[in-house]
Amino acid sequence: MPEPLRLFQPTSIEEAVAVLAELGDDAKVVAGATALTLLYRQRLIAPGALVSIGRIPGLKTIEVVDGELRLGALVSHREVELSPVVRESIPVVADAFGKVANVRVRNAATVGGVMAESDYASDPPAVFVALDAVVDVQGSNGKRSIPASAFFVAFYETALEHDEIVIGVRVPVPPAGTGAVYHKFVTRSSEDRPCVGVAGVVRLHADGTVADLRVAVGAAAETPQRFWDTEALAIGKPLDADLIAQVADAYADQVDTLDDMRGSAWYRTEMVRVWVRRAIESAAAAAAPAR
Amino acid sequence: MTAEDTVAGVTARAVDGDGRISITLQVNGREQRIQVRPHHTLLEVLRNELGLTGPREGCGVGMCGACTVLVDGRPVSGCLLPAALAEGHELTTIEGLEGPNGELHPIQQAFVDHTGFQCSYCTPGFILTSKALLAEQPDASRDEARAYLAGNLCRCGSYVKILDSVMDAKERLKG
Repeated sequence: MPEPLRLFQPTSIEEAVAVLAELGDDAKVVAGATALTLLYRQRLIAPGALVSIGRIPGLKTIEVVDGELRLGALVSHREVELSPVVRESIPVVADAFGKVANVRVRNAATVGGVMAESDYASDPPAVFVALDAVVDVQGSNGKRSIPASAFFVAFYETALEHDEIVIGVRVPVPPAGTGAVYHKFVTRSSEDRPCVGVAGVVRLHADGTVADLRVAVGAAAETPQRFWDTEALAIGKPLDADLIAQVADAYADQVDTLDDMRGSAWYRTEMVRVWVRRAIESAAAAAAPAR
Repeated sequence: MTAEDTVAGVTARAVDGDGRISITLQVNGREQRIQVRPHHTLLEVLRNELGLTGPREGCGVGMCGACTVLVDGRPVSGCLLPAALAEGHELTTIEGLEGPNGELHPIQQAFVDHTGFQCSYCTPGFILTSKALLAEQPDASRDEARAYLAGNLCRCGSYVKILDSVMDAKERLKG
């Protein structure tokens, strides 16, 4: 029989951080509890204490301030999916959260949770990386902000210190005329985790050349994969089939794909090639509405 | 009760000699005070402590929907929620749907009339999820219902009859 768990339910971020600082790795933060319960029941983790942050006020905001969409850590996936604020400012964020698992998981799982868990097969991380989102965290030494691209470190590993909590995610609202999409490719059933998920962001100059192109590939490797050098090659060039194929091939070459029950490494590489191309095509289509 | 367990000024929930904490749940309109271990899931507590066997364990990993419980009207997997974290919320299981004289809820009656089940193991989850769907989208189309219910699995494969039931329930709820 496992040791009895201790349950802490602090009512401020400062209290939660203080408990984490004292207990170290023996304590786990819990919000919606979907990931934690799974990991606990599968005996992948055996914490001595749970620090539930559900009673901390102020972490459920959804707002656009200073050109940024701000999502509090305790906002549920379903709330992101349905939020008019999100749908009007950065619809691809609502779309990606709406594609996670099933409605039950989306009702419970939170924005902070999907970040802190750093599960390679979650949908939102790739979108946040492509959109240059920033993760706000708070620990014993105060607050700091970490770019999403530096936040995910490895399988179930983030840049968080053991006494730090995700308090929110800020996403810069892309300039008008930007197309942004998230393609979730599943190999088993509609509500499965992705085999490959690709977020694409495209903005075009009036002459059809590329002003901005960003691509992040999720679920194919340990962390969302983005290659800035490859993106930079496209800037200023006409976005034609050759250029798109060049970017897709470069991503296929560079992503160190993994094997799991949703696809082999070889298959994933080919799917990266296909879905990066499709993501750029559909982001470009969304960026240049019919005249 | 053991001595107070305080870390950095925050007191842990008090445990008895068995490592259990005392929680209060609002289940089907009734207040229930029970002793649970903090890792016990809502599904385990509803079934084992409260005798509510409508929520069932299927996959145990949040994929099948057999353990669906409505939390403040929203479907949630009972197998993935520690019961202690369900405090302060209105919980509804299939047992909470019948009327004061034992009459079936219109959605339940629609499932009966259309035989929207075979073995019925998944049925409470489907009915509760349908209830949330029709509260959120009273005019849900068949495709919208299909998408909303995609996370509920029926191993007998009664999906066509289930969707028939939900579409009929939609009309019944409109009166």
